[in-house]
This record gives sequence, structure tokens and C-alpha cells, in this order.
Amino acid sequence: MNSCQQLFDAEEMMAAVRNLAGQIVGRFSGKNRKIALVGIHQVGVKLAELLNIELKKQGYDADFGMLDITMYRDDIGTRSMLPRIHETEIPFDVNEKEIVLVDDVLSTGRTIRAALDALTDYGRPGVIRLAVLVDRGEPEFPIRADFVAFKVDLPAERKVLVNFEASPELPAGIFDVYWHK
Amino acid sequence: MQWKRKDLLGLYDLSAEEITFILDTAAEFKKVSQRRVKKVPALRGMTVVNFFVEPSTRTRVSFELAEQRLSADIVNMQAQASSLLKGETLLDTVKNIEALQVDLVVMRHSATGAQNFIADRLKCGVINAGDGAHEHPTQGLLDLFTIREKMGGFKGLNVSIIGDILHSRVARSNIWGLLKLGANVTVAGPSTLVPREFEEIGVRVCHNLKEAVANADVINLLRIQHERQNNGFFPGIGEYASHFGVKSSTLEWMKPECMIMHPGPINRDVELAGEVADGENSVILEQVTNGLAVRMAVLFLVAGCRK
Repeated sequence: MNSCQQLFDAEEMMAAVRNLAGQIVGRFSGKNRKIALVGIHQVGVKLAELLNIELKKQGYDADFGMLDITMYRDDIGTRSMLPRIHETEIPFDVNEKEIVLVDDVLSTGRTIRAALDALTDYGRPGVIRLAVLVDRGEPEFPIRADFVAFKVDLPAERKVLVNFEASPELPAGIFDVYWHK
Repeated sequence: MQWKRKDLLGLYDLSAEEITFILDTAAEFKKVSQRRVKKVPALRGMTVVNFFVEPSTRTRVSFELAEQRLSADIVNMQAQASSLLKGETLLDTVKNIEALQVDLVVMRHSATGAQNFIADRLKCGVINAGDGAHEHPTQGLLDLFTIREKMGGFKGLNVSIIGDILHSRVARSNIWGLLKLGANVTVAGPSTLVPREFEEIGVRVCHNLKEAVANADVINLLRIQHERQNNGFFPGIGEYASHFGVKSSTLEWMKPECMIMHPGPINRDVELAGEVADGENSVILEQVTNGLAVRMAVLFLVAGCRK
């Protein structure tokens, strides 16, 4: 990591999580449908957990799942190595469900493409929505988010890093990171 | 860690961390086979050649199914139908296979190290499906996976491998894997088939069944391979069964929760009595299920780091 600039601090980030939960609740209120959250590994799962806590505070008992999309990537065999596969757990019947897919950042849209393929291998969901904390705009695929907390416009070579867990190296918050090759 | 090997040749070469990484990956692939859609697109567009210079049914079927569940395209080759019979060298045969833009070769061969030899000379990935009496890494891994799933871990676990250790690649892959992960390993059988020299690699050697099973948390019974027993090492089926065959009466010497494994195919009432093979301590069919998951994981990891 050669340069790292804070875009939002921890407080702004957590306010954005509450805002996102509010958007999701707004979509479901008045409809007699149960909310189903599915987080995408790794940071998407953490975000989905935080959203679930917010939803509980507002009286919603959501179904909760997590998804690892490594087996569905479109670049297997072209990378020098593969990331570790994390646990996939979809403990509810997805058929006819309205599912909110959760990821930290919408960038190229390729992760979401893979997640849609993975999720539909579990059945035939009624509706799939997308919630992201940061939407970078200009995805490479025709994929858009339904619930967005921040829109961030940055050159493609920069990475947006969402960090929920403060460490001695990096405080919690959202960062603009530039990796020198 | 991240997986960085283009081949899987044996457990001797792997670190404990790499073995654990494969087992963790296999746990996720096991779930794929439990879904209604038992398939993922991970190896879509890739071609795998199953090249069995030595005949195999169950390992080949398990690999083939694993490849199908990863969406790979498959070609099966057997020695009887290959140009090896026309005098082509092994290297020429596999070079020809590679020239067809194949991504992975799964190979079984009766010669020790045959897979290492071709892996060094091919750009595509090579998976060892058994070489001579040397290694059978995916069998070793599926045994480790089954033990970890049932027992929770390996530290301090007593595992006894019983049978013809001398000629067994399954035993060797198990021994290397178990030792690296911290288990205590005993090998047992007639002294002609379990020489004392095995002590040098850190396992306990014993020639008495009661002693071998007494403290075991896991016993792994090897198949008596009739086809390899023509060299005077083997005492005879009846004699072997009476001294080293595990029967209902053997269970009285064992811990009640001791797990019984067998790589298959079983010679019923030779190394293992039918009622014990079908009894509640046996995990033999779970091993078969886990073999599929482990092979999916290995194919996926090896295919995933070719660049």
C-alpha cells in the first residue's frame, strides 16, 4: 500500500450503515414479505451482519446467509493464485424470496455477476436486490445497485477499502488506496 | 496462505498449512454436492485428461465426477488403448496430450515417481492418482478430511494403519499427512509386510493386532491386494484373516468410539468382517463421499494457479 487516504471516518461509515438499513426497511415496509440478507465474502458479510443488527433494532427478523463467489469467478486459471474460499451458508429456502445481496463496494460488477450465478444455483429467488456501502459508478457489466450509501468517483486503478475493524495499522473507515505495482 | 502449486504429487511435499488449506477448501466443495444443483462453473472451458496407465475404477470415477461437478471437459485414456502399447514413451504420450491444449492431467501409473517425471516437463498441471507403492495423495487427503470431520483435529490422535504397509501408497500418503498434522501413527501387520525400518520415519511398528488397536482413536485397514502378493511376503489369506482381520471380537479390545476406515474395495472377512464394515464405527461410505469433495478441491486449486 503506497498511499492511503481516508474518504469517510468510522462515524460517517456507521451512519451510512444505518442509512442503508433504512433504505432496505423502506422497501419492505407495508409488504408482508420477510427480508433476506445475503452477504458476499469477505467485507460484504460483515456489512450484512451490521445491517442485520440495525434491522433487528427496527423489529425485522431477517433471514441471513453468506456467499463465497470464488467458485464462480471468471478469472480462474488466469491469476497466479486463488483466494481462500470462505464459508457459504444459505440456511433458508431461496425460492420465491426477495433477497438483498450485500457487498461493501460495487466496482466492476463482476463479483455481483458471480454472486447472481451462485445464488440462483440454490433455487429460483423471486427478486434479488443489491445493497452496497460504496458505489463507484461505471461498472464493467450492466449491473446497478438498488440501495447505496455513498457514491464515490475515483480512477479505476485506485481501490476503495472498507474497514470495519480498527487495527494499529488502519483505523475503521472507508479509504482510497493506491497500490503501486 | 495462498495455493501456489501447479501439481499435486504427494503429501510428503506439502506443509501442514498446505494440507489444512486443501481440507478447508474441500469442506466448501462438499456442500456443493449437497445442493440440488451439484455443479459450479469453476473449471468451465478447461479440459482434464484422466490418464490411467494402471487400471482403476473407483478413483477414476471419483475424479471424473469431481471434474464434471466443476464443469470441466473430460477425456479418459487407458493404457490398454493408448500408444504406450505401440512403443511410444510415456513422455511422448503426455507431450502429445499437452499439445491438444489440455489444462490438467490426472495420472495413475505403476512406476514410482512417474508423475513427478512428467510434471517437471509439462506446463499443464499434474495430479497424482497413485504411483506404484509411493503415494496416493487424494486418498490420503480424503482420509485426513474424514478424520478431521469426525474427530475435530489431529493433535495427539492415535491412528493405526493395518495391513500390507510395504506395498501401500495409501499408507504412505496417510503417514506423511498424519505426522505433519501432529497425530501419533502406528503401522501394523505381519513382519514381512511391516518392516521395522518404518520406525525411522517416526511411526510405531507393531506386529500384533490387539496391541495395534488397543489405544487407537482411528484404525485404517488396507485392502489385501491379491494382485501384488506373489513374492512370498504374504502368509496366505486364511492366516492373515485370523491374525490381522478385524472382527466383532476385535471391537472388545478397542475404544468404543474408535473409528474404522478402509479405502475400499473391501475384501469382506479378510481384512475386515462384514458386520464390522457395516457397523456403526465404520465411516467407509463417508470416505467415498469425502473423496469427491477432496478431489474437487485439489482440481480447483491446481487448475487455479497455472499462470
